[in-house]
Amino acid sequence: MRAKALAAAVLVALALPTSALAHAVLLERVPTYGARLATAPRTVSLQFDQAVHAFANSIDVRSATGKDVTAGPTRTTDSGREVVVPLRKLPKGAYTVRWHVTSNEGHVVSGVYTFGVRVKPPPPTEAYGAGGPTKFEYVAKWGYFVGLALLVGGLAFRLLVLRGRTVTPALERRFYWIVGAGVVGSIELGTLGFILRAADAFQLPLDQLIYGDLSPLARGTRFGTAFIAMTLGFAMVAAFLFLAWLTDRTILLWPAFFLGLVLCSGLSLSGHSAVDVGSSWKSELADYVHLVAACFWVGGLVMLAFVVWPMAPGLRREAFHRFSQLAAMLVGAMVLAGAYLAYERLPAVSDLWQARYGQVLLIKSSLVVLALSWGALHHFVVAPALERGRGVGSRAIARSLRGESAVAIAILLVVAVLVDANPPAKPVKQPVPTSAVKR
Amino acid sequence: MEPPAEVVHWMFGVGFLFLGLCLLAEAIIGREVWRRRAWRAYLWPSIAFLMGVLMWPVMVFYTSSAIHMLAHSAWAQALMIAGGAQLGLVRGKLRSSIWELTLPLALLVSGLAFLIHEQNPWLFSRSAFLHHALGWTMLIGALITLGRAAQPRSPVFNAGFAMIMIATATLLFCDRNVAPIFGHLSPLAGGR
Repeated sequence: MRAKALAAAVLVALALPTSALAHAVLLERVPTYGARLATAPRTVSLQFDQAVHAFANSIDVRSATGKDVTAGPTRTTDSGREVVVPLRKLPKGAYTVRWHVTSNEGHVVSGVYTFGVRVKPPPPTEAYGAGGPTKFEYVAKWGYFVGLALLVGGLAFRLLVLRGRTVTPALERRFYWIVGAGVVGSIELGTLGFILRAADAFQLPLDQLIYGDLSPLARGTRFGTAFIAMTLGFAMVAAFLFLAWLTDRTILLWPAFFLGLVLCSGLSLSGHSAVDVGSSWKSELADYVHLVAACFWVGGLVMLAFVVWPMAPGLRREAFHRFSQLAAMLVGAMVLAGAYLAYERLPAVSDLWQARYGQVLLIKSSLVVLALSWGALHHFVVAPALERGRGVGSRAIARSLRGESAVAIAILLVVAVLVDANPPAKPVKQPVPTSAVKR
Repeated sequence: MEPPAEVVHWMFGVGFLFLGLCLLAEAIIGREVWRRRAWRAYLWPSIAFLMGVLMWPVMVFYTSSAIHMLAHSAWAQALMIAGGAQLGLVRGKLRSSIWELTLPLALLVSGLAFLIHEQNPWLFSRSAFLHHALGWTMLIGALITLGRAAQPRSPVFNAGFAMIMIATATLLFCDRNVAPIFGHLSPLAGGR
């Protein structure tokens, strides 16, 4: 009897709905995001899949200078499923639309997008009122770079430095843990970075952002395109890594490695080197070389310090020697590409200490000099000593490798700040600025 | 550009149906007979893993709300981890039986993701009903697979797991983008 009553209670609990919880989905916007219109629109309208509650200020439309261009309060039509606001006569320029409506359950559904009248609008991340980046974003991006370095650098080390060498199961296991952590970190922190970037554009706390429409950000920006391509690509890399581990076929690491190399370009094609004024294919290529060389170097160091040294004493000397040779080339490529980028991005030498971008670059360069000096010590002192058969069992070398790895990973933190800093503006000969102004 | 959401759900329904039928066949004829062909042991975990990989495009292309994106990300990872761990166990790369717990864990996470991301009540719309039903199906599945981890040869738990997958497939096949349920569509969802 008691069991039947319990079963009945469970069935009732499962079948009965809780209080009405309706979450509206935006179906259409007019004008749509990223639109470049030949004539000024008279209204902005949003079509939802269900009735919503709108307020007088539910749709806010601002010019690039922050001027309110709405001509009246927001109203609803179509039984509450369409929300419309009239506009003043809009002159040529970029406009930001921020909207928020309340679903029947009380959740605030929101969005932000841009359109232009006879000009190309800026991406939503540069909409009027967009903020960021925050300190949390820097940390997330740092983790992302570390993940990328562990993945790409770890694979490069396994395939190039340990090429043709028999490795122990213990080394192989730790290698897969490290590159596995790298690919998972790249996916998770990439997603987190995307959400945080959206939070900057929306200017909403995360608990309200979960009902935010991210389509304009995902589809209307280079950053969004890179996010889509890189998430899909890293999922494929994870699959290849898993299959390589499962079948013990090292050859499957090659497609994972090449895919990882291609995916690194996503950052170069969506960052400063691609979107800033004056950027070109040369700046994109330099950025890519700089990034890939840094990933090889940092990831390789971690592999040498935390995989080969503790797990395979027999491979220490040879792995150290091979990585030392590779690192010399990597450092050369990294420094050349970095110098070119600094030359391109800093119009004057004084920008190094006067502009924030230059100041961060100076901190990064100081850490790089420290790391390179440390690397030079390894290259010119430790490597020859190991060749002579001395120091293979030295704990000091192990500590020294871990120290250089720590400095390299610290550099990535500064890089995370640097990539979100705006380089000083260059004098441009464009008469009419087309992008919205950040507040 | 993307196919309608209902079509994507049906495609995953095909995957779950095939997965469920494999499991049901194994439950009926017994593990020893099923595994007389070595490749059969890899069949359902491979399908689960592949479905996890294929879930990523859904995650990145359907971005109408952040919570939908995160839910699909959770399902993609749950499928890959559950399928991957089973493949590792079958192949002998993983030896600890604790890895068997990845399956109930994946179902628990998936079920919770369904229930958390659905903001509407059961009878609000067809999709709301399906989301609730799928969520509770997977939570029950988590309990069944927990029992299966403790008693791998139990026909009850093995058949139960298979039926959970078939039920999941059936619910996915029932998905329509806009449709009434029980002859009623909430006015809030567009019903007149």
